[in-house]
Amino acid sequence: MIVPALIGSLPRPVSLAKKIEQYSIGRLKEEDLEKAYLEHTRRAFIKLREAGIRVITDGLYRWDDIFNPFIRFIEGVEVNGLFKFYENNFFYRSPVVRGELSLRENPLPEWLNQALAIKEEVYPGATLKAVLPGPVTLAYHSLNEYYKSLDELSEAYAGVIEEAIKELPVELVELQEPALAAELSRATREKSDEVSKETAKTLIERLSKVKELWVVTYFGTPQVLPDNVILNIDLISGSVPEKYSGELGLGIVDARETKMERRDRLEDKLRPYFRRHSRIYVTPNTLLDFLPESVAWRKLKLLGKLGGE
Amino acid sequence: MELPILPTSIIGSYPKPRWLLRMYSLRELGRLPEEDFREAVRDASVAVLREHERAGIDIPWDGEMGRSEMTEYFTAKIAGFKFYGPVRVWGNAYFNKAAAVSKLEYREPLVLDEFRWVKENTTREIVKVPITGPYTIAEWSFNEYYSSKEELAFDLAKILNKEFKLLEKEGATFIQIDEPAMLNHPDEVPIAVEAINRAVKGVKVKFGLHVCYSNYYLLADYFEDIKVSQFALEAANRNFRDLDYLKKLIHQELGFGVVDVHNPRVESPEEVAKAIRKVMKYVEPERLYINPDCGLKLLDRRIAYQKLVNMVKGVEIVRRELAREGKTSIPFRREV
Repeated sequence: MIVPALIGSLPRPVSLAKKIEQYSIGRLKEEDLEKAYLEHTRRAFIKLREAGIRVITDGLYRWDDIFNPFIRFIEGVEVNGLFKFYENNFFYRSPVVRGELSLRENPLPEWLNQALAIKEEVYPGATLKAVLPGPVTLAYHSLNEYYKSLDELSEAYAGVIEEAIKELPVELVELQEPALAAELSRATREKSDEVSKETAKTLIERLSKVKELWVVTYFGTPQVLPDNVILNIDLISGSVPEKYSGELGLGIVDARETKMERRDRLEDKLRPYFRRHSRIYVTPNTLLDFLPESVAWRKLKLLGKLGGE
Repeated sequence: MELPILPTSIIGSYPKPRWLLRMYSLRELGRLPEEDFREAVRDASVAVLREHERAGIDIPWDGEMGRSEMTEYFTAKIAGFKFYGPVRVWGNAYFNKAAAVSKLEYREPLVLDEFRWVKENTTREIVKVPITGPYTIAEWSFNEYYSSKEELAFDLAKILNKEFKLLEKEGATFIQIDEPAMLNHPDEVPIAVEAINRAVKGVKVKFGLHVCYSNYYLLADYFEDIKVSQFALEAANRNFRDLDYLKKLIHQELGFGVVDVHNPRVESPEEVAKAIRKVMKYVEPERLYINPDCGLKLLDRRIAYQKLVNMVKGVEIVRRELAREGKTSIPFRREV
């Protein structure tokens, strides 16, 4: 069975970006910005329904990148300047870890409850998952000024994530973990330390006991294969490791190029995986932020057409 | 042609006057005749050129008043590109990332009009023409047509080469190729180098190469292979730390960035002078130009101006010191 799914974000519509900008300079009231978020989420869910995407996220319309605003809710973290997100012309604000990490506040349950209410109204058949950055990717993208090692830092992040996901009103949680597949590029900055594979596997498996996890990797082949999770693998820049036999999400549509894939070729590409997997989730290979909105939706419609037995 | 020692220049962009930004908005809404928009751009261009000159810049430009963005401006003029809509770069910042959908062809001059206008209006003998380089345009575009990024970048190099020849014929003497993305993929740097070399082939003007916010040790391995006579690099943003990569800059000149364009604090002339003295331990003054780190467009216009004024004042402090050693001027060097 093929299940079309969304991972991470949808491109933030320019109309919403304008509202956020207006709010940031005091020209829009908070309640009007909230209305804009909800209205854009509603529109997105209707389009996801029309496209036939069965597992969805809220599009991360409130998120500037995969770390923000989550890192703003963590005690011990300050938010720094912009860094290149891997080898993309896309920049994130980096967490600077200056003290012991703990969860200070958690608006995610409220945001998800709002999204769930909209989903029940316009697309009740879909499964909504929460999205958070994973502990390993958070550790690699932090400027660490407090913990002795990246292993320790990723453990501290895992503790914060555990606290955050316990309270979520959904069963399925997506962890953005490109760092399990992609080396921190020299284009971003020089790498000085690393998270051991054993620590990465243990931390993610520990979190999988709290909620069902969908671990999203991209920009390479995952080097860590946690058990008891749905593992999303980028088939454009990576491949499925021979020894992996767990639940599988396949990033088969290129979210970094506008060229449309051919449906028959995608079906051919999927065929070999059915020998070992009875159910496969099909997704974009990475965040849809890298595409213009119109193209992103065309690609989602294509994914939707792949769904079925 | 002679220049004062430590010639001062700019990198490219400068804050657009508020009234010009309004013109851009009106034009986008279709409420401004194209002719009126062009006139506004030309007026702003002269205003900024004068500002550069008044600050004491030896080699000015017009602050790219006619360019909305550094790749979109060029891709909109090249046949074979198509726009699907804006793409986010960070937060709420977007740019219109073009897609190459057919073979790219030179359709119309890219910056020739800008150059003619600046040349006609400047009081300086030399102006610097900044142009986005072939690899960065390729890297910041989608590719639906070419079998590789290499092929796309090389076709762009061909188009830029045509423009460079046109500029040379019109009297341009100094072109700066902007390649902020050339170190994005460490294993693709040789492609970027080859694309730049193809773009400059057979053109006898001075070429500079501007690369910013990147790992310069990667670039330093290619200094000798890149056929330009100057590298314009940022250093203020790094607080002038870690300049050892300059040990590999043996022949070409350095355009040294002494003003941080992401910080509204205006550097003092003494700070600028101190930074120049520091870099002179790596590169002798006869091979040094002084410029801001990058384009100044993100700053408030008054702050941008004051930064240029203090940059020139800082240069003058060091020039007085160098004059005592009899070093007062350098030749304008075109060869690599």
